[in-house]
Amino acid sequence: MKILIVDDSRVMRQIVTRTLRQAGFGDHDLIEAENGRQAYDKVVTEQPDLVISDWNMPEMTGVEVLRALRTEGKDVTFGFVTSECTPEMQQQAQAAGAEFFIIKPFSAERFTEVFSPILG
Amino acid sequence: MTFPPVATSADLVEIIDQVWVSYLDPDGVSPLVHMDPAQSASDLYAAVSITGSWHGHVVVACSTDASRACAAAFLAMKSDEVSDDDVIDVLGELANIVGGNVKSMLPPGCFVSLPYVVNAPADTLRLPSAVKVCELAGRWDEEPICVSLWQSQNELKGAHSS
Repeated sequence: MKILIVDDSRVMRQIVTRTLRQAGFGDHDLIEAENGRQAYDKVVTEQPDLVISDWNMPEMTGVEVLRALRTEGKDVTFGFVTSECTPEMQQQAQAAGAEFFIIKPFSAERFTEVFSPILG
Repeated sequence: MTFPPVATSADLVEIIDQVWVSYLDPDGVSPLVHMDPAQSASDLYAAVSITGSWHGHVVVACSTDASRACAAAFLAMKSDEVSDDDVIDVLGELANIVGGNVKSMLPPGCFVSLPYVVNAPADTLRLPSAVKVCELAGRWDEEPICVSLWQSQNELKGAHSS
């Protein structure tokens, strides 16, 4: 499967990549985007199977990307890895069509729990 | 008027412990040893602002060596292999993680800014409308790291008049 990792922090993109490998998902095709606008464009051009996105980013926030994709009829599996976790954000994410919500700091065990049903 | 609850030093300890376990000391061999904040000097700092239903700032300050050690731990590299960009990115991400977790303890309707990093001691930081409400200082491999939470004075005045 092709996985798009979206975060404005290059370090955090690397940590998500490393944690995916630690959780046993390193064999998938991993691509990156460094802001919300680039994420939207890469979903259109690269057609990933899964998007793992930060929430608070320049250009477009993660939830704005998700809403824009759903408006365009793109049903890619999409979820958030973010340091911000409030009930209102989780409700917004769920209402927009997010499949998961992972809070930073996270562990490989948390990735296994969330991504095993999605990635097999 | 009901004053919104704010995170405490105990909350900061819980958040920082999670960061250490997840990224900085996953093997549990190099914990952050708490110390008197007055003894904590810094060479650079990162901060995020929180606005909306609560106004304040989260500041992460540390020595140059501590910042390079943080970047090395985040990136699974050696300290002498990390670049200045790595250090800036990691310190900003640390402030972002702490700020995001603090936000989860605040009333609904708060927003966290993108982080900024300043290559100067934290005591040069001026937040004229805010006061420090709690902080956690420690030594990590003998290098100082301090995390502080600042709150708008206007809200504190509101609390005292309620």
